[in-house]
Amino acid sequence: MAPDSTHKAALFAALFAAAAALRLLLFQAFPLLPHRLAGRVELSTPVSSFKRLQEGLYLYTHNVDPYHGGVYHQAPLLLPLFSFLPDASSSPFATNLLFTVVDLLSAHALAQIADSGHAAATRLFKSSRQGLRWSSAAIVAGFLFNPFTLATCMARSTTTLTNLFILTAMAKACQGASTTFLLALSAASYLAMHPILLFPPLLVLLYDARADRSKTTPNALAFTAVHTLGLTVISGTLLLASALLTDSWDFLGATYGVRLLLPDLTPNVGLWWYFFTEMFDSFRDFFLGVFWLHVASYTPGLTIRLRTQPLFVATTLTGIFAIFTPYPSVADAALYLSLVPLFRHLFPLMRYTFLASAAVLYASFLGPAFYHLWVYAGSGNANFFYAITLVWSLGLSIIVGDSLFAALRDELDVQRPELRDKEVKRI
Amino acid sequence: MLSFLSFLLFHALIACAYASPDYHERLLLRPLPQDALLASFNFRSNETAAAYEQQNFRLFPRSLGQILQHAHTKELHLRFSVGRWDAENWGQRPWYGAREGSNGVELWAWIEASSEDEAFARWLALVNNLSGLFCASLNFIDATKTIRPVISFDPEGDHAGTSNLHLLHGILPHEVVCTENLTPFLKLLPCKGKAGISSLLDGHKLFDAAFQTMAIDVRPVCETPGQNCVVEMEQTVDMVLDIARSKRPRDNPIPRPRPIEEIECDTSKSYNAPDTCYPLDKKTEPGWKLTEVFGKPLRGACPLTAAEGPESETLCINAPPERTIEVNTTGHYTKSLSASDTLRCYKLPTGAELDLVLPEQRMTTGLIRGQPHLYAARSINGHGQERGSVQAVIKNPSPTDAVEFAYLESLPWFMKPYLHTLRAHVSTSSEDPLKETYYRPAVDRVRGTHLELRLVIPPASTLILTYDFEKAILRYTEYPPDANRGFDAPPAVIRILGPFQSADRKGLYLRTTPLLLSLPTPDFSMPYNVIILTSTVMALGFGNIFNLLVRRFVGADEVPAAGGLKGLIQGRIQRVKGRFGKA
Repeated sequence: MAPDSTHKAALFAALFAAAAALRLLLFQAFPLLPHRLAGRVELSTPVSSFKRLQEGLYLYTHNVDPYHGGVYHQAPLLLPLFSFLPDASSSPFATNLLFTVVDLLSAHALAQIADSGHAAATRLFKSSRQGLRWSSAAIVAGFLFNPFTLATCMARSTTTLTNLFILTAMAKACQGASTTFLLALSAASYLAMHPILLFPPLLVLLYDARADRSKTTPNALAFTAVHTLGLTVISGTLLLASALLTDSWDFLGATYGVRLLLPDLTPNVGLWWYFFTEMFDSFRDFFLGVFWLHVASYTPGLTIRLRTQPLFVATTLTGIFAIFTPYPSVADAALYLSLVPLFRHLFPLMRYTFLASAAVLYASFLGPAFYHLWVYAGSGNANFFYAITLVWSLGLSIIVGDSLFAALRDELDVQRPELRDKEVKRI
Repeated sequence: MLSFLSFLLFHALIACAYASPDYHERLLLRPLPQDALLASFNFRSNETAAAYEQQNFRLFPRSLGQILQHAHTKELHLRFSVGRWDAENWGQRPWYGAREGSNGVELWAWIEASSEDEAFARWLALVNNLSGLFCASLNFIDATKTIRPVISFDPEGDHAGTSNLHLLHGILPHEVVCTENLTPFLKLLPCKGKAGISSLLDGHKLFDAAFQTMAIDVRPVCETPGQNCVVEMEQTVDMVLDIARSKRPRDNPIPRPRPIEEIECDTSKSYNAPDTCYPLDKKTEPGWKLTEVFGKPLRGACPLTAAEGPESETLCINAPPERTIEVNTTGHYTKSLSASDTLRCYKLPTGAELDLVLPEQRMTTGLIRGQPHLYAARSINGHGQERGSVQAVIKNPSPTDAVEFAYLESLPWFMKPYLHTLRAHVSTSSEDPLKETYYRPAVDRVRGTHLELRLVIPPASTLILTYDFEKAILRYTEYPPDANRGFDAPPAVIRILGPFQSADRKGLYLRTTPLLLSLPTPDFSMPYNVIILTSTVMALGFGNIFNLLVRRFVGADEVPAAGGLKGLIQGRIQRVKGRFGKA
């Protein structure tokens, strides 16, 4: 056992070193690349752009309230954090190092999730195909060397921080560590608001992990109450600290208000921006409500139906966030696509893998081209890029739906082993 | 009886007007290089503060006076401008730029109010009323176009008696200034364009000029602080006419080449045919007449101006002494020379037309023109409709003096500057020219950006100011009908703080040209299609997941065979087969 674990540790060390070296090398060799990528609408949204963070930092260090302007929409506690670092435009090394380290920490959390084995076997459910899995090293490599992850890291989008906290929350929930789980999830929700929707499935995951570890089942109601209270207290503390830092509660409107009401219609890969550009004024508020309700509606449905596989529910929700939230970017898709390989045992049951991967690839290559045609060349119009965002969303939603089908089919195989490898119908 | 009374009253009024020369007007003509002519009209009238408060308007127009009193406006500056002052060729600006405005309409006023909100409410009342008075879209100056400058403007009047003054400033760069704005402008004058120098103002020539600006300035002026105050109203028109263009007759405006016999050809060149010619530069001042370049005759003096003294000389021309000027009139006029004979002033005849005739003349002395304190140019760098950067190049021509100035930018909210990219760079010194920054960032759809900088530029050097900005995409209802033309960003206002000082309190200003900002545009024709297509993708995603969540899986062989139309037809066929089988 010992030589095996040392072998694994060496493998991980090599992986991490290679990923860090690749990132730092790219940062050093192409000093203009981060600026280029930070300007891409696919990677930087109004709520995650590094250039806007720099503007917020500049205003913050010059005693102008950054939330009195319409440019900075990110969390207030990022300001003191980044103001400790040297100025990113003159000496970018410290910032680059920070984003590299954030990626490595995310990869570490992903490795913990993979090692926990919760993807295929939970307390209440053991997949019949649980032997079919990829090693954690392979999954981590898939995350670290994914071009989407790499591009996000190079663009220094603050979504990487959100992703780190989401992955940490998942990893800690798998390990049954309540406090760190609550801290990580509060931080993720504080940064990006929508990760709060991951709380129900991850709470179930935490409950299962705790029950597994202690071999007794804690009182579910008390467990939920305590953790909800904990999440409220920690989130409240973060918000209060932000209010004390900026001396007002104005940041709420400029951060969460912007996500809720979408005043900034800068193009991104999601479905909202063009819809609300073209929406009639009198229906704007109605559709904002409908769209947000739509995003939130998946959490209870999935959590109840797939109560036995909470990690899968959380993964599917990250996929839904990458499609249906107001300011999604490629970074959100990168998170989802890195989590999907955890469910290697479902791959044989998926039906539209080729179609979905073709759609995502098609959109990733044609998206930048069509955006160029619209904004720079002037030979296309906004519909070109809009069409590509539709294809991208469709591709991702096929993956989400197809993996959900596979998970349910897999569950059926456990419940009714006689139907294995037979044709089934939905009634 | 009644008519006799009114006759008496009329005479009394006229006598009264003659008694106190509270009305001044003057036209200053100045030939500029490249066959251009600057015409500066200035009309000034005073009303005592007491009479103004009692709404006893004599020379001050009642329509404007009542608006100002209603909006509690103590000082008003309104500008209508078209074109660009070519400082490289034309030199110092008229009035040192103090009576000049940004392209379009610019308005700033000091309003008395107890709070900022009250001041803004009165400002809105003011712009809406002025909008009606001047037939301009001034009512579009709302919160997104209003700023409160800090160092760029100082009151010109005496405001010792009033406290709580608020300065508000707004620019409409897209406003097209035209004849419908000139007519109400002329109506405010006591002689209403019927007599005096204002009879020369004609919409066709004024708005055909290479540069023109109309200004209205109202301010209280006191002899001693708080005493003997008058409300002074000044109306100014500056225009730069292209003489050759203005001389074209209105019924035949298309320029045609002159007959070849009239052109002096360059004989040092070889010609292939007798009808070709390289014209030689004539090196002469062009000949012109007042009636030709203004298109209208000058109809004698306005009877409200002073009868004698320097104030009565209302037509002046600033030209070298050797320039021949002939006066063509049937009435009585007087002429005086001043400023070592470079300024010739004429007292206009009453009730008779007057014309100045300047023949074509070869000159030995150059034209008189002052050197500007600063040169400024501003442009947008970069391409595409996503982002760009603004570059302002400001040149100090003085070999000895460092110039301190304030730089004011008022940007629309959809042009989002990144202040951390602001760089001020001087080639000749390593010292940071940026001394102070006032910045109020924009908020989407609520207010625009207000950026004010205090800069110092060393002698004989060029300052380059740059910053990046991003362009927002708007809702499709927020675009104007000509969305692909682009949006106008207002010019920058530069005020020289030192070491040069103006003799009066007007200040020294210059303005850059406005910028044209092309924003990304959505497809305006397909809101329905977008709503339908996006909804379809969302319905596909939601429907698929919802279907999976609420339905149950069963084996394919556990349920009856395919339902629907196929099943129905198959069932029928089976039944028919069965019947035939029995038979």
